[in-house]
Amino acid sequence: MLCIADKTFDSRLLLGSGKFSSSQLMQQAVAASGCQLVTLAMKRLNLALKHDDLLTPLRELGVQLLPNTSGAKNAKEAILAAQLARDALDTNWLKLEIHPDPRYLMPDPIETLIAAKELVKQGFIVLPYCSADPVLCKHLEDAGCAAVMPLGAAIGSNQGLQTRAMLEIIIQQAAIPVIIDAGIGAPSHAANALELGASAVLVNTAIACSNDPVTMANAFRLACMAGSAAYQAGIATPYQHAMATSPLTAFLDQL
Amino acid sequence: MQITLNTTELTVAESITVQQLLNAQDISEVGLAIAINNTVLAKRLWPAHQLQQNDALQLFQLVTGG
Repeated sequence: MLCIADKTFDSRLLLGSGKFSSSQLMQQAVAASGCQLVTLAMKRLNLALKHDDLLTPLRELGVQLLPNTSGAKNAKEAILAAQLARDALDTNWLKLEIHPDPRYLMPDPIETLIAAKELVKQGFIVLPYCSADPVLCKHLEDAGCAAVMPLGAAIGSNQGLQTRAMLEIIIQQAAIPVIIDAGIGAPSHAANALELGASAVLVNTAIACSNDPVTMANAFRLACMAGSAAYQAGIATPYQHAMATSPLTAFLDQL
Repeated sequence: MQITLNTTELTVAESITVQQLLNAQDISEVGLAIAINNTVLAKRLWPAHQLQQNDALQLFQLVTGG
């Protein structure tokens, strides 16, 4: 069971709603993934375009919507985006993300911490996307964030847990949920994150950009179940030397 | 009077509320949020809030994203 703030979730998979080729496909993937938290973004309205109603079908699926502050380049912009998202969605839950550099989309740790402190004061349930920095994650926890969302690799890169060693420290130190966000490109990466003890993973590109997003969403659902069950069961300790599993040597000696 | 709606300059009646402006422009309110002069105006205030000369309205909408 995943517990964030005052809510519990059966699924440890969060899904980003971007990059799907159609809204209908995104909804089918959400349903197949079994996820209960789906991220959305805020964008300046294009007055010349008619926009699809995203909210009604997602709400009919029974998922909780988690707006993000993508596009914000500093704390001030992120706080405005958060306030807009709260009004648009009538939720105080927020995925805080501030990435001023468009090439690597690395989260700005200083602006993220400044924004997190202010947004917590304003009553938001803050889930910050952040670099895999154990010290920063403790600062974000101390600031009152409900979870931390350190990156496995660059957004959309599909490189997996490049930051694994740092993620292990973050998980070991955290008293709040650790959700691995960004870089997860395959179900095995998600399973691996949960085997390490991460509370959840957020996946978008790997599902939305696969040849068959619905099947891939189901694959991630299964991987998250496997990773979580394995962590709870206790992963076997690796050894340098062999450890016999059958008493064959003694049997052969008698011939 | 003159106002700005995102990047578009508009001439509107002297006495017009935010809600009346949305209706006149046929803008859907689903997933919509508004900032006036960089301050968020809560949805519940739209029907009563009177626009002022040179107000800069920024309209945002929920979209897909990760």
